[in-house]
Amino acid sequence: MSGVVSAFVEAWQELRINKVRILLALVGVAVSVTALTSVVGVGDLAREGFKVQAERSQGRTATVALSVNGPTTPDPVRLEKAYQGIVERYGISYWTHTGQAQARFQFPGGVQDVQMTLVDPGYGVIHRTDVTQGSWFADDDEQRLAPAVVVSEAFYNTAGRPDLVRKPLAKLIGEQETTAVIIGVVPDLFPQAPPSAFMLNGAAQSAGIAKGYGQFKVWVQDGQAAALMPAMQADLQMQFPDMYIDATRMDYAAHGDPIAVAQVAVGAVAGLVLLLGAMGMLNISMVTIRYRVREIGIRRSFGATSGRIFVGVMMESLVATAVAGIVGVMLAVAVVKNPWIQQKVAPALSEYPPFPLEAAMLGFGAAVLVGALAGAIPALVAVRIKVIDAIRF
Amino acid sequence: METLLSLRGVTRSVVLPDDQELHILRGIDLEVFSGDHTAIVGRSGCGKSTLLNLLGLLDVPSSGELEFLGTPVQHIGGNARARLRGSTVGFVFQQFNLLQGRSALDNVMTPLYYAKGRDFWRRRELAMEMLDRVGLAARAGAKPNMMSGGEQQRIAIARALVRRPRLILADEPTGALDVETGQTVMALLDSIATESAAALVTITHDHNVAALARSRYRLDAGVLQAVAEVPA
Repeated sequence: MSGVVSAFVEAWQELRINKVRILLALVGVAVSVTALTSVVGVGDLAREGFKVQAERSQGRTATVALSVNGPTTPDPVRLEKAYQGIVERYGISYWTHTGQAQARFQFPGGVQDVQMTLVDPGYGVIHRTDVTQGSWFADDDEQRLAPAVVVSEAFYNTAGRPDLVRKPLAKLIGEQETTAVIIGVVPDLFPQAPPSAFMLNGAAQSAGIAKGYGQFKVWVQDGQAAALMPAMQADLQMQFPDMYIDATRMDYAAHGDPIAVAQVAVGAVAGLVLLLGAMGMLNISMVTIRYRVREIGIRRSFGATSGRIFVGVMMESLVATAVAGIVGVMLAVAVVKNPWIQQKVAPALSEYPPFPLEAAMLGFGAAVLVGALAGAIPALVAVRIKVIDAIRF
Repeated sequence: METLLSLRGVTRSVVLPDDQELHILRGIDLEVFSGDHTAIVGRSGCGKSTLLNLLGLLDVPSSGELEFLGTPVQHIGGNARARLRGSTVGFVFQQFNLLQGRSALDNVMTPLYYAKGRDFWRRRELAMEMLDRVGLAARAGAKPNMMSGGEQQRIAIARALVRRPRLILADEPTGALDVETGQTVMALLDSIATESAAALVTITHDHNVAALARSRYRLDAGVLQAVAEVPA
């Protein structure tokens, strides 16, 4: 017990005595750790931002689109029954029909074409649709006499930002004039986006909005997608033997992680920075050992074993780099959690994830590893010093 | 008196780069008893330091028998020797060899980092007691570069004695001091050694310092010979 404590106390005393020299050596290590940890942390944030943006437009991991096509259009009633059968048989919780349509809305400034997305309530979950005001569609919204619409920020601005509590109306101009109720607002997918809106499929049909090409999307667990897709495809093929059945993953991760390569490349550069820091530290440690030959000899003469000398030199390096690692990680947290950086790296996120623990562990672990490597070589040199020669050095 | 150190036919030789063997010590016979004060005199290059290294368990003989408290040291490993050295031998060097940048107190505490149990945990208290014993308690916070040669050697003595060693080895303890300071330091060293019943072996080329010892030896060309017995 006293042996371990005394090794720590001795290492700490060495750090205290040689603080200026060690501080200089550690600046490089701390900067390297900051670089490495920041790359991992910013990469994680960018990945999360990219994921949210991609999931908003393409669906969560794993979103599978099913379609039945052929020389003739399949009977819609039979097709819907087949889709609902799939939902029941495979225990799918979230599904949606999606389709695109154009509609003309009366705005205070005049009539304007609006891109409509016709959906079912499950779309909100599958596409991570976060409303900034109001709410997303509920199952019973389809029963409303005045169809509900969830509009984009651009639509909401064009409509004069009415108070949603007062259930503002939006007039659809066309062969069949309809008054819709704005129930929610979602962020624009990209800056300067034109006005757009969502409406439930059933309500759109009642309002006489013709749907273009449509898809049936289901959300399944990532690990099950590979097994479920051929099963669902075979299931539909059996019901529509003359048709071409397609089951395709739509989400961003369908073909692997698209930003992993970039993150590995940047991480490799950060690793090189860390290596340079380690070499600087090793260099200073080796020079220092030359200056400490006599001191090591004196310590040996007072009973320090070679193991104790090794541990002492190692410990000094480890304690120092551990402190540098903590400082480096703290700096990286300050960088990654900086609001300006968060906004620039992940503009799609409204709430930012906590600083990734694995990035902090990686940074701290790398610092300790550098300390071990930069400490082991001088420690071996120190052990080989002959006591007699050292005292007379 | 208990036999602390016993050397019988001890030799020490090294192989030179041209494969020639250099015999530094030849057939050394020496007995050191508890509470004894022994002086070894000799010219530079006669093997004094090599003998000191053997006596201090810093080195092992090439041949012959060296026993420390009855244990043949050539048969024990380096780490066990280091532990034995730490607990039973205190060194006083010619150039003081204080750790620069550390206070007097830190220097005196240094050997206690290698002690176990109570001595380690009470290191500050023990070091202060020893500083007080050499009359430098008031200078506990001073660093070596702020001290005179005499003060530095007294700190070195305090450091050598803080673990209450059975054997004190002093290598030219007055070599870097003026005559008057040297005498004061030797008187202090002798009185503390006598008080703690430790054996004191002084290696010196100064006959005045050697004259303070009760047993005296001359080392010449690696051969040790008793000079004269001084009655206790």
